[in-house]
Amino acid sequence: MSARYDAIIIGAGHNGLVAAAVLARKGKTVLVLEARDHVGGMLGDASFRVAPLPYALRPEIARVLQLDQKRLHGAKPVETLAFGSDGPPLRIIGGHVTGTDAITEHDYATLHARLGRQAQALGVMMLQSPPGLSKASLGEMAGLAKMALKMRLLGKTEMRDLLRIILSNAWDLLNDEIGDGPLAGVLAMDATLGGAMGPRSPGTVLTLLYRMASQSTHGHGLRVMPEGGPGALVKALSDCVTSAGGEIRTGAPVAKILVDQDKATGVRLQSGEEIAAATVFSNASPKVTLMTLLGVEHLDGEFVRRCRNMASKGMVSRLDFDVAEMPSLTSGGKIEHGQRLVFAPTMQVIETSFNAAKYGDMPERPVFEATYDATAKRLCVSAQFTPHDLTGGWTDEAKSKLANSVMAVLEEALPGIASAVTASRVMSPVDIETGYGASGGHWHHGELRVDQLLMLRPFDGAAQYRMPVKGLYLCGAGAHPGGDISGAPGFNAARTALRDGGN
Amino acid sequence: MAAKAKSIAQVAMGLEPGPFHDRLVDQNRQQSWVNWMGYASPSVLDNVEFEYFAIRNQSTLFDISPMCKYAITGPDAETVLNRLVTRDIRKLKPGRVAYCIWCDEDGNVVDDGTVFRLSDTEFRLCCQEPQLSWLEDIAWGFDVAIHDVTRDIAGLALQGPTSCALLKDLGLASIETLKTFGIAEYEISGAAVTISRTGFTGDLGYELWIKPADALTVWDALMDAGKLRGLRVIGYEALEMARIEAGFLLPKIDFLSAQTVLRPDRANTPYELGFEWLVALDKPHFNGRRALVDLSKQTPRRKLVAIEIERDKPAHNALVYHRKTREVGQVTSALWSPTCKRNIAYAWLDAPYGQSVTDDLWVEIYLQKEIRWQRRMARCQLVAKPFFVHPRRSATPPADF
Repeated sequence: MSARYDAIIIGAGHNGLVAAAVLARKGKTVLVLEARDHVGGMLGDASFRVAPLPYALRPEIARVLQLDQKRLHGAKPVETLAFGSDGPPLRIIGGHVTGTDAITEHDYATLHARLGRQAQALGVMMLQSPPGLSKASLGEMAGLAKMALKMRLLGKTEMRDLLRIILSNAWDLLNDEIGDGPLAGVLAMDATLGGAMGPRSPGTVLTLLYRMASQSTHGHGLRVMPEGGPGALVKALSDCVTSAGGEIRTGAPVAKILVDQDKATGVRLQSGEEIAAATVFSNASPKVTLMTLLGVEHLDGEFVRRCRNMASKGMVSRLDFDVAEMPSLTSGGKIEHGQRLVFAPTMQVIETSFNAAKYGDMPERPVFEATYDATAKRLCVSAQFTPHDLTGGWTDEAKSKLANSVMAVLEEALPGIASAVTASRVMSPVDIETGYGASGGHWHHGELRVDQLLMLRPFDGAAQYRMPVKGLYLCGAGAHPGGDISGAPGFNAARTALRDGGN
Repeated sequence: MAAKAKSIAQVAMGLEPGPFHDRLVDQNRQQSWVNWMGYASPSVLDNVEFEYFAIRNQSTLFDISPMCKYAITGPDAETVLNRLVTRDIRKLKPGRVAYCIWCDEDGNVVDDGTVFRLSDTEFRLCCQEPQLSWLEDIAWGFDVAIHDVTRDIAGLALQGPTSCALLKDLGLASIETLKTFGIAEYEISGAAVTISRTGFTGDLGYELWIKPADALTVWDALMDAGKLRGLRVIGYEALEMARIEAGFLLPKIDFLSAQTVLRPDRANTPYELGFEWLVALDKPHFNGRRALVDLSKQTPRRKLVAIEIERDKPAHNALVYHRKTREVGQVTSALWSPTCKRNIAYAWLDAPYGQSVTDDLWVEIYLQKEIRWQRRMARCQLVAKPFFVHPRRSATPPADF
């Protein structure tokens, strides 16, 4: 069987597109196969996006792919409105907060700058393949060494501080530095959003740093909405693939990865069509890729066990409310297009909300972030701590209960919004799982926690993008460095495959 | 007497009485018990020499009920077994038994055992160490049921040159046509018995698999028929002598399961253990295959070899030297073989010794002569396994004794 394509990429999510673009621009023939009728994965469905909020595409990737950086990164960073239990919301851009007292402003700015420096030291590894646990190549070790050097260059005090806090929890850190309140609530949301962990869970400082390690031209930790919204990013990436000669097919769900002589040889679509390729990349989550598409018969029992045990319990539900006329804030003023609204008045509220979810229950008062799309007249909500394994299942009743509880919170800040809503939609973690090949409905395809990062992401033995079957690569958020719309897993996977030279 | 002895085994040692315990207690004049998977198992009943020679010259009964047994059944049973072990199970026909090993993902041996193929979709795995969680990991995602049947099946090893004749005396029609590694169904005193021509002695012999409720009935029938066939109940120590002669390795003595080692380099690959003949790299993926493909191209870092040592003192726990000076390995099992009249042992030798360098090897034997210890350097040579080979082991039909 002569290979028709050098590479097939399963899933046209942003990571799949980045991987395809990197390969295509190196002269490889690539085919991207997307199960849905649109490209972009969780970013792509214009009518109901899983990820409506600003993204963190690594500028290095945009540079390499020669994307229109001005368009993608040119806009000013998104402003966050942090709603407390009463009073006007705090306004936050990066390390700058207004609406609180001068001391807190100063403490916050100091903390933000410090965490940013520490995050940058860790961020060195983002565009590196993590080193192997047993045998690491020189290049891989160089990445780690660079990270260690960067950490050392923080200076003795700050490096020690980093080592002190890195495995601890956001609750302690933020209580020490800025005290509980809406400001701590925003940072704690950054630390826990998408994950099955509350601010008191160990390792939440690391996830906070992880989020702050994202880079844009405006500095670390800042999210920028591209000109034209998420759709513009998706279009830029898919154009990059096609202009380099790559093909993209939508509505082409893959049923099986084909294997011959312990080597991936292509895919079979659900339609029965078989397409040959020298390498296969999967943008689906590791569990879906390995256990459904590849099949456990090709894998060792221990490997399957680690894959099964990978933590990937989705916690986020997406709700869209079509709002005819956005009402004014209780405190006066209007919501602006593109702002990020965070409804997590204190860390205590977040933790309480997480408590219910731990045991499979829906929290009485969910914590969530939201963004208002003025053009579509739509409020997009990402509600946290709505567990994938909800007791009683994700029935229509459960969904409307969630919508009501979100609306109750919104009503406090935006009185009259409930009556202005003309339509609403709810997407549970189960919907995300079935719709996007993300096991557990997890945003990041697997929990971002210390035992599932770097050389342990997605799990021990599967960490360098290469899977045990030759020619099969993971290129989705389940791979290092994880989710957050950075494009880094796809980028790293493609470069790993190019280094392998198998195609 | 019997009742009192039973309480010693059960209460003092905290061991469970096996299905044949009532009879073993009567026979066990030494009251010497060992713990075998929680069962009270005799180490010696009266005299290890008598028991050993019965294996080679008469017939012996050994209770193998404590051996771990798993029933693996269902449409994917063959696939799962083939995924577990390194041999190609597709070639194993119903009614046959295969000696197998299985490996972890690094290509290190987890355990060895025998796979009984009872039908197209029914298998039984017999092994030394509990494997249920391992089996469940291997079987995950396949349509197969796995049950621990260790306590549901009583086992007896009937081994020795007169064992076939003894079974014939019991009226087991055409038992003499049962080939080595074959399985057949019989009835003894009205009890259903599955008989496999397998064993751990390297001699003519059978293993009998019985419902625990029928255990004593079958035992009594065998003992009755065995009177004229020299049947003797034996313990673990006599079997240990026979198994060394027969070339069988024992986990925990000769090698450690990859599942139990604390130091990763203590685990062993099939190539180190001399089990390359059990590894079918050309079959579909099985556990550890990728690691084994790599290992098969490398020189093993050490090798378990069979050695023959000059003079007569067994080389228990001895170190092995090259040119009497360089320490290159150590002995795991050693025996003065009464049947072969040879001083034999298994030893681990670090590469290249035992592989490209095989001459000038010496074993340092420690002898105690009336309190004083002596050290003796004895020359040893690599030899082929097994030490004891007899045509009656596989002759079909076996000769009548």
